[in-house]
Amino acid sequence: MSRFKDLQKNLFGGTTSNARQFGMIFTLVAIVLLFQFLTDGLTLRSDNLIALFQQNSYILILAIGMLMVIVAGHIDLSVGSIAAFAGILVAKSMTEWDLPWPLAILFGLAIGAAIGAWQGFWVAYIGVPAFIVTLAGMLIFRGGNQFIGNANTIPVPEGFRVIGSGFLPEVGPNTGYNNLTLLLGLAACLAVIWREVQARRTRHEMDADAGPMWVSILRMAVMVGVLAFVALRFASGRVGTSFPVSGIILVALVILYSFYTRNTAGGRHIYAVGGNSRAAELSGVKLKRVNFFVMMNMSVLAALAGMIFVARSAASGPQDGNGWELDAIAAVFIGGAAVAGGIGTISGSIVGGLVMAVLNNGLQLQGVGTDRVQIIKGLVLLLAVALDVYNKSQGRFSVIGSIMRPFRREAPATPASSAAEREPAKTSVSG
Amino acid sequence: MRTFFAKTVAIGAISMLALTACGGGRDEETGGSDAPAKGFAANSLIGVALPAKTSENWVLAGDLFTNGLKEAGFTSDVQYAGASTTVADQQAQITAMVTKGAKVIVIGATDAAQLSTQVAAAHQAGAKVIAYDRLITNTPDLDYYVAFDNFKVGQLQGQALLDGMKAKKPTGPWTIELFSGSPDDNNAGVFFNGAMDVLKPAIDKGDVVVGSKQTEVKQTAIQGWKAEGAQARMDQLLTSTYGSKELDGVLSPNDTLARAIITSIKGAGKKVPVVTGQDSEVESIKSIMAGEQYMTINKDTRTLVKETINMVKALQAGNAPQVNDQKSYNNGSKVVDTFLLPPVAVTKANAAEAYANDPKLAPLTKA
Amino acid sequence: MSDAPILLEMRSITKEFPGVKALSDVNLVVRAGEIHAICGENGAGKSTLMKVLSGVYPFGTYEGDIVYQGSETRFADIRASERAGIVIIHQELALIPELSITENIFLGNEPRKRGAIDWKSAQRQARELLARVGLREDPDTLIKDIGVGKQQLVEIAKAFAKDVKLLILDEPTAALNEADSRHLLDLLRGFRERGITSIIISHKLNEIEAIADQITILRDGRTVETLDVKADGVDEDRIVRGMVGRELSSRFPDHTPKIGEVFFEVRDWNVRHPVSAERQVCKNESFVVRRGEIVGFAGLMGAGRTELAMSVFGRSYGVWESGTIIKDGKEIVLRTVADAIAHGLAYVSEDRKAIGLNLLDDIKTSTVSAKLSKITKRGVLDEVAEYKAAESYRKELRTKAPTVDEGVSKLSGGNQQKVVLAKWMFTDPDLLILDEPTRGIDVGAKYEIYGIIQRLADQGKGVIVISSELPELIGLCDRIYTVFEGQITGDIPRQDADPETLMKQMTSTKKMQTR
Repeated sequence: MSRFKDLQKNLFGGTTSNARQFGMIFTLVAIVLLFQFLTDGLTLRSDNLIALFQQNSYILILAIGMLMVIVAGHIDLSVGSIAAFAGILVAKSMTEWDLPWPLAILFGLAIGAAIGAWQGFWVAYIGVPAFIVTLAGMLIFRGGNQFIGNANTIPVPEGFRVIGSGFLPEVGPNTGYNNLTLLLGLAACLAVIWREVQARRTRHEMDADAGPMWVSILRMAVMVGVLAFVALRFASGRVGTSFPVSGIILVALVILYSFYTRNTAGGRHIYAVGGNSRAAELSGVKLKRVNFFVMMNMSVLAALAGMIFVARSAASGPQDGNGWELDAIAAVFIGGAAVAGGIGTISGSIVGGLVMAVLNNGLQLQGVGTDRVQIIKGLVLLLAVALDVYNKSQGRFSVIGSIMRPFRREAPATPASSAAEREPAKTSVSG
Repeated sequence: MRTFFAKTVAIGAISMLALTACGGGRDEETGGSDAPAKGFAANSLIGVALPAKTSENWVLAGDLFTNGLKEAGFTSDVQYAGASTTVADQQAQITAMVTKGAKVIVIGATDAAQLSTQVAAAHQAGAKVIAYDRLITNTPDLDYYVAFDNFKVGQLQGQALLDGMKAKKPTGPWTIELFSGSPDDNNAGVFFNGAMDVLKPAIDKGDVVVGSKQTEVKQTAIQGWKAEGAQARMDQLLTSTYGSKELDGVLSPNDTLARAIITSIKGAGKKVPVVTGQDSEVESIKSIMAGEQYMTINKDTRTLVKETINMVKALQAGNAPQVNDQKSYNNGSKVVDTFLLPPVAVTKANAAEAYANDPKLAPLTKA
Repeated sequence: MSDAPILLEMRSITKEFPGVKALSDVNLVVRAGEIHAICGENGAGKSTLMKVLSGVYPFGTYEGDIVYQGSETRFADIRASERAGIVIIHQELALIPELSITENIFLGNEPRKRGAIDWKSAQRQARELLARVGLREDPDTLIKDIGVGKQQLVEIAKAFAKDVKLLILDEPTAALNEADSRHLLDLLRGFRERGITSIIISHKLNEIEAIADQITILRDGRTVETLDVKADGVDEDRIVRGMVGRELSSRFPDHTPKIGEVFFEVRDWNVRHPVSAERQVCKNESFVVRRGEIVGFAGLMGAGRTELAMSVFGRSYGVWESGTIIKDGKEIVLRTVADAIAHGLAYVSEDRKAIGLNLLDDIKTSTVSAKLSKITKRGVLDEVAEYKAAESYRKELRTKAPTVDEGVSKLSGGNQQKVVLAKWMFTDPDLLILDEPTRGIDVGAKYEIYGIIQRLADQGKGVIVISSELPELIGLCDRIYTVFEGQITGDIPRQDADPETLMKQMTSTKKMQTR
C-alpha cells in the first residue's frame, strides 16, 4: 500500500486530493481505451487528438482559473459572457480600428483585467457574494457583447487565428514527423525525469524514505512512455498540422499555475482562504487581496479563452461563451475540488476537463446526438462527485479507496495500526 | 544520484526510440485538394451537421437526410448542435465527421461565419463541403451551396403583404411593422432585403407607413429566431405605437415568429392584421386555414434535401453536380457554385394545391 | 430541608466523550416548586448535565437514571422532554429575528384549524402568555425590534406555550442589564409562588444567593455538594469555596520565573462591538507584560478577554476606537494581523477548529502558514525547509503523529494545539497571546502544554494566558489581571492570587485597591 501511495503522491504532488485525481486518471485512461476500442482506433489517431486539444483548450484554460476561484471558496458564472465580450471587442479592434493582432491580444487581456478588477472589487472589498457578482456579470457582459456586436458575427484576420487554429511550423530536415513537436516531446520527457530526480533528492534532504528505486523507474517509464506516444501522435499528423498553438498556450499556463498554486506563498494563501478564511486572516493572510486576485485572474483567463475561441472560429459571434462556465465548473469538480473550497488542484481540473472532452469526442465519433451526450455528461458529473462524497462518508478517503482495495491485501493490518498510533485517546473507545 | 540520472535518461531515450520505430511516420494525405474528384465508394460516410432542434424544419430535414442517404446506399451521420453551446458543438461535430473519414459533409450552419476552420480541415482531408440552406462565409474551401432563392422569398413575402392589405382595405395608406430574423443568420438579411425590394417603393410613396418608424435591420432583428423575442417586441410596439392606431400588416420572416406576433396582437385585444410567414409549419397552415396568419412560403424541405442528396450522388460518381447560379453567392472569399430552388407563396386560396403532395399538410388544407 | 415532593431526581449520571469524562456519578435532586441553582466553573459539567436532562444527549448515551414525576424516564430527543414539560432556555436565544413574537412563540407548535395555522387563536394565546411573563408588547412586533431582556421573556412565554413544569434557564441574565435582570428574577419568584419549578445556571453568584432555594455545586464533572440556602446560611464566599475546591493539586511543572523589564504595554484601549456600535467591548483597558513573564487574564464568559486580545492582535475584532500599544519603548500601530505578526505578536485562538487551523491542511503546511516568508527563497516555497521546520517542532513539542504529512484533522485536541503552538512559535514572536490554550485537552497534554508555555517565557518572551479555569491561571501565571464587563478590575500578583479573590474581582466592577 505504501508503494502505491508513494506512486500516487509523486505522480500528483503532495496535496490532499491526490487519491481523487489518481482515480480520475484511471477513469480517463479507461474512457480513452474504451472509445479507442469502440471507434476502431479513431480516438487516438493524430488528427483526432489534435482536434480534441484544439476544441477543448479554451475550456481547460477556463478550468485553471475556475479551480483557483473554487478553491478560494467562490464561483464565477460570468466567464462565458466575459469571453464573448472580450472576443467581440478584440475582433472589432482588428477589423474596425486596424489594431495589429499582437496588440489586439494584449488589448483583450487588458479588457479581461479591467473586468476582473471590477468583479474582484465587489467580491473582495464590498463583500457581495461572488455568485451574485458574477451572475450580474454574466448578464452585463452578455448584453455588452450584443450591444457592441449588434449580435453580428465579426470575422478576424488571418494572423490572429494562429492562437486558436495554428500549429507548430515545419522546420529542419524531413524526418517524417513535425520536428518541433518531437523536440517538445523530448523536452517534456527530460523534464519528467529531472523532476523525478529532484523529488528523490528532496526526499533524501528531508531524511525521508524516497521509496524504492523501482517505483521511481516504473513511474518514469510510464510517464515517458505516455509522453513519447502523445508527442509522436501529434508529430505525425497531416503535413501542416502538429501540436496546436492553443495547446502550447494551455500547457504553458498549466505549468505556470501549477507552480504558482503549489510552490509560492500566494498559492498557499488561496488554499488557506478557502480552507478556513478566518484562520487564514488570523495567520496574517490578506483576505481581500487574495479574493481580488482570484476573481481578476479568472477574468483575464476568460478573456484569453474567448480570444482563442474566436481565433479558432475565425470570427466572433453572439453565441460565443454560452454555457462555458458550466463546462469549466464541471471540469473542476470532476477533478476533485471541494464545493466548500480549500481542496483541488490544477492538474486534477485538467484531468477532469479531459474526461469530459474525451467523453464528448468519443460519443460524437460514435454518432451519438448532443441530446444524449448531454445526458451522459450530466450523469458522469453527478456520479463522479457522488462517489467521492459517498466514499468520504464511509470513512474511506476517496474513489481510489474502492478501486484499489483488492491490491491492498499484502498489508491488511497497516491501516488499523496506523490509525491507532494517530489517535491514542480513541483506542479505548473504538477498541 | 548521477548514475541514476544517466540510467533514467538512457531508459527514456530507448523507449522513445522504440516508439518512434514502431510508429509509422506521418499520415498520408487522404485526398489531394487540387486533384480532380474521381468519386468515392458507394457506401461511404456522408456527414450532415444541422443546427439545434429549434424548428420543425430542421427535425424534418434530419429525418429526410437519414432516410434518403440510406436509400442511396450511403452511410450517414446526422447531428444536431446542442441547445446552449451551439457553435462549439457544431464545430466539434464537423471535426468528428472529418476524423471518421466522411467524403461529403453537409452543413446547415448555426453561425455561418464561425465554421471556416472546420471547413478548411474537411477540405484538406479531401471531403467535399455543401452548405445547406445557409451560406457559410469567409472560407475559400466551401464547395457547393444548396438553398431556396431567399431573395425571392423576401420578395414574395413583401408582395403578399401588399396584396393582402389591399384585399382587406382597398385604399391606403396602410400601417405596417417589420420583423427580421436572427442577425447571425446570413439568410435573415437576404429575406429582409428581398421584402424591402418590394416594400420600399410603397413606403417612399407614402402608401405604406411603418408605424414605429423602425425600418433598420438592427431594430427589427429577432436574436436566434426566438418566438419569445418576437412576442416581446410586438408587445412593446403595441404599447408604444398602437394604443389607438390600427395595424394593417406585419412583415414576419417565418412562421414561428408570425405566430408569436399574432399571439401578441390577440393578447392585446387587437384585430389580427395581415401577417406573412415562411416554412409551412403545421401550426401556421392551421392558422392560415382559420384565417389568422395571411400567408406562408412553401420551401419544400423534401425538395431541398432531395437536391442535396442528388449532389452527393453526383460527387460519388465523380461527376460535377448540377448548379444553376455561379455568380450571385459570394461568401466573402469566393463565389460559391449554387443550386437554387424556387419558393412558392401560399395563402388560403392556393394551399390545397400547394400541399397536395405533402402527407402531413395536405389533410389540413381540406377544411 | 424542604419537605415538598421530589419532582426530579438524577442518579449517578455519567457521560463520557471520546477521551474525556464530562460527568462522573453526578446526583441532583429537585423538589417541586423550588428554584434550584447549579453552580460550577466553566467546564464543570453544568451544561452537559442539562443536555442529558433535556434529551439533547438521548437515553443510552449516558449512564445513570432520571426519575421525573415519580417514574423513570428515557428521553429520546429534545421534543420528548418538552412533551414531558421540561423546557430549557439556552444562553443563546433560539428566536428568529425576522419573525413576530407570536410566530416565535408558536414556532414548531402552531395551533391548527383544518390543517391551516389558526393565527387568530395563536394571537389570543400569545397575548395571554405575554401577560403572564409581564411583557407589554404587541404580539405582532418583530423579535429584532425588541431588546435582549424582552427577548428573554418571549423565550419564557414560548416555554409556557409548551405547558412547562420544569423550566431550565442557562445563564439567563448574562446578556441583560441591571433592570432587566431584576425583572427576570422577580418573575422567577412569581413562578415559584405559582408552583412552577425552575433550575437556573448562573455565574452571577449574588443573584443565586438572592433567589435560589437549593444550590448544587459541580466541579470537574462531579457533584461536590448540595446546599440549602436558608438552612445552611449560604453566602457568595461559601459558593465560591465549593466551586473551586480547597486544594490545588500540583498539575504544573516546577518553574522559577526569570522576569525582566516591561517590554509590552497597552494603554487606554477602547473597542466597540463590530455590529452593535453602542456596545463598548473594551473600556479604557491598560496592561503591561514583562519579558519572561506569564500574565493571566481571568474573567467570566463574555467579560471581553478574547475581544481585548484579538483587537490588540491587528484589530482582528471589533471597531477600534482609541488606545496605544508600546513595545520596547516605542509606540507601534498594528492595523492588520500581518502588522501584528511583523511586530512579533502571536495569537493562539480560543477555538482551534473554527479559527485556529485550516483542518484541510497537514501538519507541515499548518506549521509554516503564519510566516511563509521564512521558507520562501526567491519567491518559491522551499519544501525541504518547510519539512525540516515542521519536523523539528514536531520533535520539540512531542506532537504525536506518524509524519508531518499527517492531516491536522486526524490529530487529537492536544496534538492539534501543539501544531497551533508550533505555527506561532515559527513566527519568532516576542509576545504570545494564548486564548484558552488547554480547552478540550486531557490532563496529560495539559501538563505538556504548561511546560511549553514556561519554556517560551524562559526564552525571554512575554506570554499572556487567557483562561476560564482559575486553578490553571493560579498555577501557571506570574501575575493575573481580572476582567469584568470590558474593564480590567484587578492586577493580582502570584502570591496574592487565590480563587476567592479572583472570583470576587471577576464578578464586580469595583476596582481593587492596588497593594
